[in-house]
Amino acid sequence: MYQYDDFDRNFLKERVAQFRDQTDRFLAGEIPDDVFQQLRLRNGLYIQRLAPMLRIAVPYGTLNAEQLRKLASISRDYDKGYGHLSTRQNMQLNWPELAEVPDILAELADVNMHAIQTSGSCVRNVTTDQFAGVAADEQIDARPYAEMLRQWSTYHPEFEWLPRKFKIALNGAASDRAAIAVHDIGIQLQVDENGRTTFDVYVGGGLGRTPAIGALIRENLPEKHLLTYVEAILRVYNRYGRRDNKYKARIKILVKAMTPEVFGEKVDAEWDLIKDNPQELTRDEIDRIVACFEPPDYPAVADATSALASKRLEDPAFSRWVQQNVAEHKQPNYAIVTLSTKATGIPPGDVTDVQMDAVADWSETFGFGEIRISHEQNFVLPDVPQHQLFELFELARAEGLASANQGLLTDVICCPGGDYCSLANAKSIPVAEEILQRFDDYDYLHDLGPLDLNISGCMNACGHHHVGHIGILGVDKRGDEFYQISLGGNATNDASLGKIIGPSFSRNEVVGVIERLLDVYVDYRAEGETFLSCYRRVGMDPFKERVYLEQPESQSYARAG
Amino acid sequence: MPVLVKDQQIVADPWQLLESIPDYVPDNAIVPINQLSNTNANGAWVEGDLEVDDFGEELAKLDLVAVHFPMFADGRGLSLGSLLRSRYGFEGELRAIGEVQPDLTPFMHRCGFDAFVLENELAAKTAIQCMASMSDFYQGSVIQPEPAYRRKHSH
Repeated sequence: MYQYDDFDRNFLKERVAQFRDQTDRFLAGEIPDDVFQQLRLRNGLYIQRLAPMLRIAVPYGTLNAEQLRKLASISRDYDKGYGHLSTRQNMQLNWPELAEVPDILAELADVNMHAIQTSGSCVRNVTTDQFAGVAADEQIDARPYAEMLRQWSTYHPEFEWLPRKFKIALNGAASDRAAIAVHDIGIQLQVDENGRTTFDVYVGGGLGRTPAIGALIRENLPEKHLLTYVEAILRVYNRYGRRDNKYKARIKILVKAMTPEVFGEKVDAEWDLIKDNPQELTRDEIDRIVACFEPPDYPAVADATSALASKRLEDPAFSRWVQQNVAEHKQPNYAIVTLSTKATGIPPGDVTDVQMDAVADWSETFGFGEIRISHEQNFVLPDVPQHQLFELFELARAEGLASANQGLLTDVICCPGGDYCSLANAKSIPVAEEILQRFDDYDYLHDLGPLDLNISGCMNACGHHHVGHIGILGVDKRGDEFYQISLGGNATNDASLGKIIGPSFSRNEVVGVIERLLDVYVDYRAEGETFLSCYRRVGMDPFKERVYLEQPESQSYARAG
Repeated sequence: MPVLVKDQQIVADPWQLLESIPDYVPDNAIVPINQLSNTNANGAWVEGDLEVDDFGEELAKLDLVAVHFPMFADGRGLSLGSLLRSRYGFEGELRAIGEVQPDLTPFMHRCGFDAFVLENELAAKTAIQCMASMSDFYQGSVIQPEPAYRRKHSH
């Protein structure tokens, strides 16, 4: 992990004091509401439907045991004993008191954490693959570069007041687990034939009202130019991005209006003038940051292949969990474990203080005290010796963190929705809940194979519905909650945006509709074909027919049409 | 009454901002940029979205450029200020006018602004405190081009 030094600690301390002063001046009536709103947003503080919401930054989803214990104690002391893992790999608290937020930030600073730039029109938490540094299919660890971008973008003098929020994601593996195609800037890292790290830079992807897949504007950018190239993009965006309409203010609108080619030329012209400025990364600095992420010294552990195989034969539940939630590690005899938060009866991504403490303990017992948060809202333990998998499984099962559903239908990505969020048109958590209840037969889920089902409570798309193989979007129809369903979205390699199947459905219809969609897939699929590839082959029609025409008595078509 | 902060101090304003051009333009006038060629003024005011590539060289010759921030949280003037300083070598007074909230002045300051017109004396004093609230930053800026790591790890 990145190691804080005196500079980082002092910076955080001063930033906390600064926010405390801003809060005091606001409470004393010296700062108008609309100004304080912008100031608090840059410290992750929203005012929500029921209470403030504080979004705590977990840079690129990596934290250590001490930090997770601190999050547990903060959620116990200042909140209702739970937190929510977000799709930007952060943690949100739903019930803090405004006046106590400076104290929470001070406690976070004690463990080198903060809520800086987790909201507001600025560069947000830089995200990456939750398996970075340990994935077997990784070419290069993206975390050091995410950290360089974090430092560069923190309290940037010129880019803290952009037209709109700005999200950057990096991926260094063959398989894109960071959804780089749907980010304002997406960066694919690679090592060229001379062993040098280079970047392919995509720009203008995003979700929200106007979803878009990012366009490639620069190939093989040498690593020392990372910050100056991003600076050039941000400057073009800051100067020319629309500010007259917040729904047209994201960079994707500018890129589309200019065309990616012209936007890229504009960026290149700017970059030519600044690429040799002092923000160009030095070899020493790259080496210093990369060194923070050097792999630990993995103690040699015995090959557990045969013991694991016989344990799996004995215990089908364990076997399913290994199959679904355990990923291949770079290091022999080690494994990467996803601890799913998607259990029946629990809103996706919600974790209690007790679970946080437990995960922190396991990260030390079964690893080197490191934990990841995935954008699918799960915990990940990156360095588990294979011979300890069963022991971990039993502990995780006792804490409700062993659902064997990673990447399956019930590994739902879901925003907080109308239960918490003041922007939402409809509730999302109860829909997720009904889906988890209806589809709880593991054999059926496993037979369906990889399936991303994403739910957003409004078109801001925090639940990434556009890139779900099945997407569900809450819409408001004359005061009633309805749900629009889309098919064919995909957030990983070969990314695509889902297409809306047709008129929306009332809440009590949604689960039945999902069931019929799955039936169509099961009927039409070829051997080994996933839901997504089947949909791409057969198209929308068979799904549409089954959902609408087989139910002539259903009122949904007429009512919502 | 508006109060001018220059180089972190409250000072009397020797300049006079003109919305339009009277018959006689005093020496200390800050005129709209589109009137600059009609006068001998040494100060001009511009909007934050000015196309700096078209006007940068002309502005760099002046004693004062005032950048108008139309609303709180509009960061275009920050890019404009940075470019005037770093790309066009402007060395005169760079003044922030319009919606200048004290908590925004640290950003403006690091983009090269050295003068700020605040709403009143309390706001002016708060701005001076705000600009002193953080002692160092990760990335370079107009007033400190070197990022922190180049300074702290180079010795």
